[in-house]
Amino acid sequence: MELANNRSPRMPYVFMAIGVAFLLFGSYKGLFVAPAEEYMGQVQRIMYVHVPCAWNGLLALTFAFVAAVVFLINGNFKWDARLEAAIEVGVLLAFLLCVQGSIWAKPTWGVWWDWDPRLTTTSVLLFAFLGILALRKFVDDPVKRAIWSSVATIIAYVDVPIVYYSVRWWNSLHQLQSNPNTVSPVFWAPMRLNAFGVLFLMTGFIMLRARIASLRLQYELTEPPVLSGEEAGELA
Amino acid sequence: MLGAALRKELLLQWRTRGQLMAVFVFGATSLLLFSFAIGPNSEELRKFSAGFLWLGLLLSSTLTLSESFHEEMENRALEGLLLLPSDPRALYYGKAIANWLQLTLLGIGLVPVMVVLYDAGTTDVLRVLLVVVLGSAGLSAPGTLYAAMTAQVKAKQTLLPLLLFPLIVPALLASVKATSLAILGDPMGQSWSWVGLLSAFDLIYWSLCGLLYARVVEE
Amino acid sequence: MTQGVIVGGWEYVWAAYGITAAVFIIYAVTLITRFRAEALRARAEAERQ
Repeated sequence: MELANNRSPRMPYVFMAIGVAFLLFGSYKGLFVAPAEEYMGQVQRIMYVHVPCAWNGLLALTFAFVAAVVFLINGNFKWDARLEAAIEVGVLLAFLLCVQGSIWAKPTWGVWWDWDPRLTTTSVLLFAFLGILALRKFVDDPVKRAIWSSVATIIAYVDVPIVYYSVRWWNSLHQLQSNPNTVSPVFWAPMRLNAFGVLFLMTGFIMLRARIASLRLQYELTEPPVLSGEEAGELA
Repeated sequence: MLGAALRKELLLQWRTRGQLMAVFVFGATSLLLFSFAIGPNSEELRKFSAGFLWLGLLLSSTLTLSESFHEEMENRALEGLLLLPSDPRALYYGKAIANWLQLTLLGIGLVPVMVVLYDAGTTDVLRVLLVVVLGSAGLSAPGTLYAAMTAQVKAKQTLLPLLLFPLIVPALLASVKATSLAILGDPMGQSWSWVGLLSAFDLIYWSLCGLLYARVVEE
Repeated sequence: MTQGVIVGGWEYVWAAYGITAAVFIIYAVTLITRFRAEALRARAEAERQ
């Protein structure tokens, strides 16, 4: 079964390199060129990397959802490889989001965690998809593994808006806080540059990780080689 | 079809009702332990009573849910069931309803424990009952689906809660909030919006999990 | 240019950027390493057949 896409072997690396370039430029702008914000001061600069990660993290998990649905429909294992890659990268970004959000919260609110609905939803997502990765680790049969993790991904993804709204209601009684919505164009440039940077980097990651998954699936899904008469005789 | 599946499940549960008793003791013990975490301050305990109740029920559910497929895994009955010309969805809903009943009974059993340990009495008993019914439904639908999956896997004891807990966060939030308002008072009449959220969660997951169940148990 | 109500805070900024960069770099390295290993194994399998 031909799963590996060898048409453009350099593609993932090209994407990653482009991503790094954008990130370096965007971070430079965000750290050294953009002015300190009116209320947030220097801490505002964390947003230039936090918000791009948030957009792309959701994008990765959405792609995982799409891959799950497509796999359940057509059974093509290429989509299982993409599912595995998208979940892993999504988990990576969710983890980063929680760390960045926590680092942002400490100087801002004085606590390491402020139960902001978006960040709390991200933490729930982090655990949900970590669970799906764990599920994949514990299931040896590649067909069952693919079907079950697709089902689990669909169930988890549908939950995202529900979790978000329930946490927002739950939290609304306590504090009225919002992450700063930067409006001035001088704040847009680093945000956009980094957004593209993370997008390209993430796409490169998913491509490469999907290839790793494809190679392993190829190994798992092929029939064991038929023994020649000689080899069979040796075993007898 | 559903009737037969449901009847079989209820019969199974009746035969193993001793286990339910044991799980109830587990739940009640958990409620006791939670109070040790807070201390003998009745005010504090009362404030958190709803949370403890639902945490206790959630933990207990991992025991009952994983057990619910125990019979199917023995003697490979799961495959036998698949050979029958029956709609797998009927099997799913039969089991999910039976699990729902079990969790509701557990919940109802734990409420008096909560009332006693945490001084969490309420005149709004019907509302608490409603929340227990709806909350158990929220646990049961995805729980039965994941129990079916993890029953076939090693490390099933760990995987079931690992998969289930993040998922049911909205149901947990809503159940705790609604129960808490019934106990502590609801001056602004918020509890109906929480009940609404819980109902929406139940509706979505009872349909979605039923839809996906066939894929989970196919060979 | 105002300093903002929150004074200073550069250490938080460096921490956030630093951890993000570190995680990306480490992940990239593990991916590339793992890909090479898998590709090598796949080639060996193909040659054996």
